[in-house]
Amino acid sequence: MNEERVVLSALYADRIASLHESKIAMNDVKRRLNRVHDSDDWGFVVFEDFHYEPPKFRESGELYGGLEIAKALRKWLHDMPPYVHKDSALGGAWVDIIQNHLRIGLRPEDDVSPEIRACWAKYNTSPGFMGMNHCGPDMQIGLDLGWGGLLAKIRHYRAKLSPADTSFYDMEEETVLGIQTYVENVAAEAERMAGLETDENAKKNLLEIAAMNRYLVSAPPRTMREACQFLAHFQSVDRTYFSGGALSQLDELLRPYYEKDVRAGILSDEEAVWYLASLFFNDTHYSQIAGLIPDGSRDMTSRLSFLILDALHYLHIPINVALRVSDKVNPTLLRRSLEYTLEDGSGVDYSCNVGVEEGYARNGYPIELGRLRAKVGCNWVALPGIEYPLQDVTRCNMAMAFQEALKDMQETKNFDLEYLFERTCHHIRIIVDSIKAGYDKHYEAVGKYRPELVLNLFMHGPIERGLNASQGVDIVDFNIDGIALATVADSFGALEQRIVREKRMSFEEFFEIMNRNYEGREDVRLMMANIKRFGSPDSPSEKWALRLRDFYVKTCKESGTPKHNLPIIPGMFSHGDIYIHGRKLKATPNGRRDYEPISHSNEPDPGFARGIDTFSPTLKSNAVALAAPGYGNSAPLHLDIDTEMLEKAGGIDALAALIHTHNHMGGTLINLNCLSRKVLLEAHADPSTHPDLVVRVTGYSAFFSSLTREYRQQVVDRFLSRENR
Amino acid sequence: MEKATVFNIQRFSIYDGPGIRTSVFLKGCNLRCLWCHNPESISPQRQLGFYPEKCIGCGNCFRACPEGAHIAAPDGHTIDRTKCVSCGKCANDCFAEALTMLGEETTSEEVVRAVLTDRGYYERSGGGVTFTGGECMLKPDFIRECAALLSAEGISVAVDTAGNVPFESFEKVLPYADLFLYDVKAADPDLHRRLTGVGNERILENLKRLASLGKRLIVRYPFIPPYNDGEAEAIASLLAPLPVELVEIMPYHHLGEGKYRPLGMENRAAEARVPSDDALEAAVTAFAHRGIPARRT
Ligand code: SF4
Ligand code: SF4
Repeated sequence: MNEERVVLSALYADRIASLHESKIAMNDVKRRLNRVHDSDDWGFVVFEDFHYEPPKFRESGELYGGLEIAKALRKWLHDMPPYVHKDSALGGAWVDIIQNHLRIGLRPEDDVSPEIRACWAKYNTSPGFMGMNHCGPDMQIGLDLGWGGLLAKIRHYRAKLSPADTSFYDMEEETVLGIQTYVENVAAEAERMAGLETDENAKKNLLEIAAMNRYLVSAPPRTMREACQFLAHFQSVDRTYFSGGALSQLDELLRPYYEKDVRAGILSDEEAVWYLASLFFNDTHYSQIAGLIPDGSRDMTSRLSFLILDALHYLHIPINVALRVSDKVNPTLLRRSLEYTLEDGSGVDYSCNVGVEEGYARNGYPIELGRLRAKVGCNWVALPGIEYPLQDVTRCNMAMAFQEALKDMQETKNFDLEYLFERTCHHIRIIVDSIKAGYDKHYEAVGKYRPELVLNLFMHGPIERGLNASQGVDIVDFNIDGIALATVADSFGALEQRIVREKRMSFEEFFEIMNRNYEGREDVRLMMANIKRFGSPDSPSEKWALRLRDFYVKTCKESGTPKHNLPIIPGMFSHGDIYIHGRKLKATPNGRRDYEPISHSNEPDPGFARGIDTFSPTLKSNAVALAAPGYGNSAPLHLDIDTEMLEKAGGIDALAALIHTHNHMGGTLINLNCLSRKVLLEAHADPSTHPDLVVRVTGYSAFFSSLTREYRQQVVDRFLSRENR
Repeated sequence: MEKATVFNIQRFSIYDGPGIRTSVFLKGCNLRCLWCHNPESISPQRQLGFYPEKCIGCGNCFRACPEGAHIAAPDGHTIDRTKCVSCGKCANDCFAEALTMLGEETTSEEVVRAVLTDRGYYERSGGGVTFTGGECMLKPDFIRECAALLSAEGISVAVDTAGNVPFESFEKVLPYADLFLYDVKAADPDLHRRLTGVGNERILENLKRLASLGKRLIVRYPFIPPYNDGEAEAIASLLAPLPVELVEIMPYHHLGEGKYRPLGMENRAAEARVPSDDALEAAVTAFAHRGIPARRT
């Protein structure tokens, strides 16, 4: 296999550079209009005067049912301005998320009870109820059929099943018809632009885009370029409709087209890199490269995997590609990805086969199935096309449970840590049970109110069975992410060390100070904060972290949802939302003040190491793996490593070994940034000084400049925690 | 069981030998290099470090110190180092970490337990554990115990030393150490004495004996203008007959400078400067000319 880097000729280097520049310019517009918030770039293009009027079905303007929403989507796809960039190999872009413009109703009988709503509010729970777009599509379905074939498939099954209520099929039909209109509009726009273009190369390109899109309105793709165009249109529509963001195993999807085109002598590697860069320019959908084939006998790295890395590097904008790591991963591919990360600051993230695949098998699924379970979202994984896993939309904030337990302790004056632990577990169970009850309602109602109009097309089952993905695929399981593990564990650790063991003060004296937000008692706050925190060797917090994890996992797994007995798979992922989840949380015994952020996922807090042990990526990696929930859903590791440290000989090998070892310890996902202190601090102080700086916030990457100060601070804290010690 | 005063355990260390390593830093040194960037490693005792910028003025240290060593002077809080007996009581009560004790008395078993947490990283990177300091070879029995336990676990051990110890000390660790990182600071004995306080005769003799035993040797040359940057040629000719695997030329950096004041110590290397890239390249070339692989770190 050719593993060389592709060297671009001037034409393609210029085209890709032009895409990069356009993205930077667009990001400036988005920032000016306040249209980016702590998310990745996404690919949308701003049309400031685009105005959309949704179809009106009733006086209130509310929409009920999938068919009404599909009609609204079809109208949107018809109305939205088509976008073509003359230096891209592909046409199309999305312009906004449709739900920002719709009022989707929910009938009271399909809502959860007021008691459950009250419970969610009390514990600041993100319940995942009506969460969407969190299953991974099998894009092969679409590539094989094309939009026309998908339309025929819908009509075929509508006739075959002939259900009493055909609205499921009708809404899917509306969706595809809308997409076909959009593809036609893109073709027309490319033709229009070609008519005005004076540069011969650009004109030729625009005419090719036009012809390709005319063809793809109904026929399936034949070439790699057409396949990329099909995927780009999927991305744009999937984003438009409830901001979906999952693609799938990109190297394997495109490989047959690539190989066929190369054999036919119609494709060079630099053209392939340009197609891929154009696809990434179109949108930041999540995709993967490499990974074990289902029988585990080999890694599926191909030339395409390398070309994808090259495209990512040359384009250098936020892109969400995961490299699937196993012992058999192609070592050159892993190295190349790290070389690019060192050069660019960020790059791919690393999905770990032991935590993700073997972990999933612990739920009782065969390991062969586990090996299909790929990272398809920011931090979540799915079996493409056959699983409805609803990850990354639900948070059980364990610190909120702990806050209630602290109240119980103070009310009863039972100052025993075992009692506090028992009460924490009690409240965690309440949260988990409320989420499970919500999931039953979700399962029943989501297809009615928020059907997966787009993803249903790319799943095995929904069209064949006439059911929304939530009910129509073979494997349905629901994730719950437990968050704030270190916040709670360090609180227990600090109470144990300072109050119980060292007897620095009584519980009552301490609570009085903590309840006043440590005001005037910075000494006490620091006393509680500066213990050997979770992650530090010999930390008193570690055993509490493990007990909490164990209880949390058991509570999630011991029973399914109360009504439909849907299985639950626990994860521990907070996204970057550690601020939101701190906003209702008063001061905690780990020295955290009122409403400060909680800890990230199951990670140690920044600055956790103490005494003779200084911060090390391995300490963090060990802690995250040790406290992982262990059933295949994510508990990611964020590493922000100083570029200077790694530039020396052996730096890349060390990183590769770090990744492999974290995998072996049961890790699920590694999000890596290689940054220099100078650049990071400059960009934090004034984001406009480094408009090109791309960082991995968590499972997604973003322009640093498009993050709010709070989100930027997270990255800075993680990075500097190494120096603080 | 042997004990030593350890002042730092640094994991994911990629500077001290091949692969991912854990560097274990021992206190105590018998050289006094002008430019020492680890002044906390010189004294073999635990020491009190004071970082006034972190002080929140809680007064705990004044109450805790049995020796009355903390002084509230008009120009700020100071420590009378002549009174301090390094008992650590004030640091134990200083929650702001303005006072911290540098160094922990640690047994060989504790060190081994601590470094074994990272064994997976060593195995996958060809790394291991490096004992350094200070001069770790001043504690040969401690190193021997640790290294024996680690070898039994299949973990590679490196020793970073300036070599100024009796050769019998090396003999104690030889069976368990795979690699020596051996400092050579100057070839000229008088210059060596001026820069480090001791001559280099024993150091060079030990180096030759180690080389004759076929041990893996990486020589480290701290490159500190204006003190010893003129020594490259002379060191290269010294090393030419020896089977040295690599010479690492380690440029001066400023990171150690801030460490003196918290310890109440004086930085004597006021003239030391960071070398230019050209000077470093010239040094690399000097070794290369004699067929010795060299690189700057
Ligand atoms: S105990 Fe620490 S923070 Fe308090 S006065 Fe002393 S040095 Fe300052
Ligand atoms: S270490 Fe002991 S003697 Fe020295 S200042 Fe602190 S309390 Fe006093």
